[in-house]
Order: sequence, then C-alpha cells, then structure tokens
Amino acid sequence: MSSLVGFLSLVFAIGINFYLFLSRYIFKFQKQKFNLFIRFSSLLTLLSFFSLMYAYVVSDFSNYNVFQNSHSNKPLIYKISGTWGNHEGSMLLWLSILSIFSFFFSFTKNIDENFQRLTLIIQSLLHILFGLFIVLTSNPFLVNSITVNEGLGLNPILQDPGLAVHPPILYGGYVGYSIVFSIAIAGLFQNTDDEWLYVAKKWSLISWTFLTGGIALGSYWAYYELGWGGWWFWDPVENISLMPWIAGLALVHSLMMVRGEQAIKKWIVFLSILCFSLSVFGTFLVRSGILTSVHSFAADASRGIFILLIFFIVTGFGFLVFLLKEPKKSGALNLLFINKVSALVINNILMIIATLTILLGTIYPIMIEVLYNKRISVGGPYFNATVIPIMIPGFLLMSIAPILSWQTNKIQNSKIYVLSFIILSVLVLIQSYFLDFNTWGFVGLILGFWIILASIIAIFSSYKVKFTIKFFQMINPHIAHIGVGIAIVGITCSSVFQKELDFNLNEGDKFNVNGKTVLFEKIETTNQINFQALRGKFLFDIEKNQSEKIEAGKNYYPVSKMITSEAGILHQWNKDIYFILGDQKNNEWFVKVLINPFVSFIWLGVIIMMYSGLIAVSRR
Amino acid sequence: MSRIFILTPLIVLLIICIFSLAYLLSGKDPNKPPSALLNKDVPFFESSSLYNSNNVIKTNDIKNKKTLINFFASWCSPCKIEHPLFFEIRKKYPELYLLGFNHKDPTLDAKKYLEDDGNPYHFVGVDSDGLIALEFGVFGLPETYLINEDGKIIFKFMGPLTKDVLKNEIEPLL
Repeated sequence: MSSLVGFLSLVFAIGINFYLFLSRYIFKFQKQKFNLFIRFSSLLTLLSFFSLMYAYVVSDFSNYNVFQNSHSNKPLIYKISGTWGNHEGSMLLWLSILSIFSFFFSFTKNIDENFQRLTLIIQSLLHILFGLFIVLTSNPFLVNSITVNEGLGLNPILQDPGLAVHPPILYGGYVGYSIVFSIAIAGLFQNTDDEWLYVAKKWSLISWTFLTGGIALGSYWAYYELGWGGWWFWDPVENISLMPWIAGLALVHSLMMVRGEQAIKKWIVFLSILCFSLSVFGTFLVRSGILTSVHSFAADASRGIFILLIFFIVTGFGFLVFLLKEPKKSGALNLLFINKVSALVINNILMIIATLTILLGTIYPIMIEVLYNKRISVGGPYFNATVIPIMIPGFLLMSIAPILSWQTNKIQNSKIYVLSFIILSVLVLIQSYFLDFNTWGFVGLILGFWIILASIIAIFSSYKVKFTIKFFQMINPHIAHIGVGIAIVGITCSSVFQKELDFNLNEGDKFNVNGKTVLFEKIETTNQINFQALRGKFLFDIEKNQSEKIEAGKNYYPVSKMITSEAGILHQWNKDIYFILGDQKNNEWFVKVLINPFVSFIWLGVIIMMYSGLIAVSRR
Repeated sequence: MSRIFILTPLIVLLIICIFSLAYLLSGKDPNKPPSALLNKDVPFFESSSLYNSNNVIKTNDIKNKKTLINFFASWCSPCKIEHPLFFEIRKKYPELYLLGFNHKDPTLDAKKYLEDDGNPYHFVGVDSDGLIALEFGVFGLPETYLINEDGKIIFKFMGPLTKDVLKNEIEPLL
C-alpha cells in the first residue's frame, strides 16, 4: 500500500512539473498559482520519499527494494537510513532534496517575479529529468514477486550513525547547486540587473556548507570505520565530492567580491554551471558503476547511459546558454599588482586548476581503459604531488586577502604582518629542528599557523571588538580562514607526523605506546542484535589511577556474511591513539597502534568553516 | 579569443561524454579489470586435497588438459548461487577438468558445504591461507579461470558464473 502511494505521488509530482514547464509556453499562470503548484509537487515528492521510508521502518518486504536492502532485526535508525542506503532510494532522496530547494526558493521575497518563475521552471526541468530516471530505471517501489518474511540486509559497512546522516547532508550540497545553476541560467536569460547575484550568493553558501559537512562526515566515518588510520584516501568518490567543493569555494568568493565587474559576473555564471555539472557528473560516476568503491551500488549499463544523458543535457544546456547569452557589458576589472580583485582572480585560477587536476586524475583511468584496454589506478601519490602544490600559493594569498585594499596596492599595518611572519617562521623552524625535520611538515605548519595568526591580527587591527551579531558578521571571513588554518595544521600533523607501532600480543601482555604502558586485558566476543562483536580490550596508561579503556575489534554480520573492522580510538586534544586489532596467529594477536597528532584540529577547522558558512548566509 | 574560452567547457564535456559512453557500451565492468594473467602461464601452485592431505595437486598435474579452476568458500554466498552450474558443466563437458580451490575456510565447514550442495569438482584443493588465490590475483570470491592445454589462462571471470557467461564466453573456448 505504501509503495503504491509512493509511486503514484512520485509520478504525479513529475506530471505537475511537466505541466509547469509547459506553462511557460502554453498556459499562463499567476505567480501565486504557479508557486502553489511548485510547493504541491515538492510535497508530493516528499510524500513519495516518506512512503518508502515507512516501508523500511515497518519492514514491508512486499516492496522489492526493502526486501533487497533491509532486515527486520536491524535497529530502527538503520531501517530509516536504509531508505537511502541503496541506489533507488538514494536517487529518490536526491529528487526529494531538489524539491525541498525548489520549495524554499518559491518563498524568496523581493525578487523579480519573472526571474523567480524562470528559475523554478529550470528546477522543474531538472525534476522531470531525474524523476524520469527514477521511474524508468531505478524504481524503488517495485513489488516483490515472491512472498517473503525476511529481507536480505543492509551492507554492514553502512550501519553506522555517522554514515546514516552522511548522504542527506552531502546531497544537500550536491543538489543545492541545482538552484544555483537554475538561478545563473535564469539570470542569463533575463539579463536584467545584478539582483540574481545576491540570491545566488545565499544559495551557494547554503550548498557549500552542506557539502562541507557531508564530506567531513564521510571522511570522519572513513577514519574510524575503515580502520586504515587515515581519513582521506583520494578515492574516486572522495575526489568527485572535492571537485564541486573547490569550485563552490571559488564561486562563493567570487560572489562575495563582485562589484558589478562584467568579467567576474561571467566567471560566476561559469562557476555556477560548473558546480552543478560536477555534482551531476559525480552522480553519474558513482551510479553508472564506472567506479568501484563502497559507494557504488549494483551497476546497470542502462542506468549509466540514462544518467550520462542527463549529465550531457544539463551541462550542455548550461554552457550553451552561457555561450549564446553573455552577461551585459558593464564595469571593467580593477586589477592591480596586489589588491582584493587580483588576489581573488589568482585564487580562483588556482582553484580551477586544482579542480581540473582532480578531474583529470579521476577520468584518466577511464580514458586509458577505453583506449588501451589496460587498467591503471591513479591514487594518492598523483594527487598529493599535484593538487597540494597548486593549492599552496592560494593558501598563502588567503592569509592576507581579507586585509587587501580594493583600490590600491597598499596593505594596512604591513610591518606587523612582516614581523609576525618572520617570528613565526623562526619558531616553526626551531620546532622542526627539535622534532624530525620534514619539508612538507614545515611548509604545512608555517602555512596553517600563518593563516591563523594573520587573521587574528586582521581582526584586532581592523575592528573594534564588540560582542554583537554585527561584529561577528564583519569578522566572519577571518573566522572562516582561521578554520582553514586550523584544519591545515591538523592535516599536516596527522599525515606527516603519524607514527605506527606493530605488536604481537597475548592476552594479559603489557606494552609501551608513546611512553605510556598499555595492558592488553582480554579478547571478548558478544552477540549484538544484528552482529557478533569481537573486541580486544586495552587499558591505556595503567600507571594512572583512572586509566582509559580502549576497545578495538571486528564485527561479523551473519545476514550478509561480512566482517567490518572497528578501530578503537582514544581521543586527546592533541592526538588520537588509534588501535587496530588484526588477526590471530599462533595464539598471538596482531595489534597495530597509530599515533595521529592533532587530528581533532581537522574536525574543529571544518566546524568553524561551516559556522562561517551559516553566518555568511545570514548576512545580506 | 574569448569565444574559444567559452567553447572550451563544451568541448571538454563532449570528450568526457564520448569516453564515458564508450566505456559503458564496451560492457566493461570495474569489478572485472583486464587481468594481467590473461594469456600467461598458470601460476605455480601446490595444494593438498580437502579429503586426503596426502593427495597433492601441482601445476604440472593439469598440463595437457583443459581445466576450469574455481575459487570458492562455504562462507561465500554468491558461490552458492553459481554452484549448481558446475554440475551442468561437468555433465556437458566430461573432458573438462574441474578444480576447486577452497579459500580460507575451516575444513569442516568446507566439507559440510560440499556435502549439502554436492561436489561437482574432480579435485578440491585447500587454500587455507589464501596464498594460491594471491598468486592468481583473486579479487573476491567466487572467481573462475579457464586454463588451456598449454597451461595458459585463457579466461577469467569474477563473481558468480551465469548461464549467459557460460554460453557466450566459456563455451566458445571449449
């Protein structure tokens, strides 16, 4: 029953959007009526989504999708997240988020009526394309042809609270760019004033903040679930989320800086189209099964071709409009040796080069396999060697960009900056001399700390410190950059200064980690609702009265016959101590301990960036 | 000049789409990378029988006959799906030598599995530590290799065999 409701409302919503799309040419609606239809179709799509969720929650195995991906023994949260833990459901989530964005956009006040309508019509077009994709190739409401009373289970690796919320947040970013795309295209068609720039700014900030959260959740999950001790692997799926993120960053900055310059406006349109194109391209790469990773679901060539077609239509349409309808001419670019505009241009160029470098690394294996029938893999070494050096000058520029002037080459208080940079460099040099010297570590630490320091100096030298909302809005760009600086320090320390220790241990053994004695208490197996847990129990720093408990081990999921590793992590503010329990051989357990310094700084930096994103949304 | 700049994204889009389409239409599957072992000699192996540890099979023992090597385990559910197909193969091609490698499996479980579902193999070799699978470059279970009379790997398949694969890809080679 819920499947029927879901399917009908899905189809009905697509029908309404089709009707709205035609309305531009055939039927003429009043604004109110038009917006009502948009909202109605959004609600129908959500109804469809929640029908599917309901089927998951009540374990309705007469729905084929539920049967394939759920199990009645699962905890409720994973029944709910099971809704999007599969290809069909996650595409429905995609469409639902698209609808939510259209829904809220229809409430935007103080914008030109025609412009708003045109934007929503482009959204409708996207709704139709993706809606048809779901109905024709990925229908989550198929009826199970056999009667069963148990399902096949959800991929155990996805049974994790962090990952349960990761897709909706990530999609908030990906799909959020659809509205930015629609706004830019509508802006090109209308070609009236610059109002659309302000509207676009708000929405691109929202999308970017979601995307940041989604990526961070994904890498945090990879950090503690995959049990490899790292948090970023340059996996193709990570790369395709990073591309719209970097392009989106360039877009947000361009939108903040634009003062009516024609060249920047053109650039903004380009970036808006690019961000959404990269999002759709990412969806294509994951959904077509061209890439293998935990993200790719059962592949099917017809789906791949359909979504490639959508990618081609959307991107082609976007860039074609861009080609034919250039923004109106106005205002020249005020480029000086070093002012705000030139810093922005340089930074944007760097970000786009970085994006293209990642794009090349991601699609290169596809091209090689088509041309030479050889499988190559482009991984960490390529990206570390290319993307990081490209980004470094950008980071350097970032530290001073907010204090640059619009009109002149002068930098206020330049002496303080030079002096503090010299002091900082000497301090970092001394620090690296006493620890192991590492070039990347040195560069990373200087960059990170310099960005933090320069931003703090800028805040105190340019503004009067007051604890008002306005003050926090004013210093927001600096806060965002401090977040980046903190994240860079965390990234540098955790990757360059990571230490790895290997042990072969019996139960009851004591061993030394970082000067502290650790006791390997025992191995314990327990039965949980939907898995069996094997845990090695460790006591960290047993000399202390209250020593910390760490549990590392594996889970065995009988339904899907899979084993996942569960790292045991002791979080301290300045380092994570990361335990991995390996296999047992000759009665000894293999235990790997990683010391990851300052990992928490990465997450702290990300949280600050997201906070800044939200504050920036609130600022007109 | 600026026209070229604006045209670039469209050209890049076209290139990306052409390659992606070619990839999709070529029926390639990222789960089935072109094997480095294809048309190479079968790797050296030595494995004792599941039922009698004194009975050992080596690479040389499968020379001069066509051999189908299948890696399986009792804990591998897709293996169960393809399992009945091996009875069909054995019936239809009695000449073909069926060699099963039991991969990282407790002996008792493996025996029980073959008791319950039947044993289609001429020989079941034990690969308890997974070293033989490593030599063959096994990605995940099940995996199937066809070896010709000269001891060369002429076909490799990852995942459960299907009737289609058997008919379209294996039978022409037999």
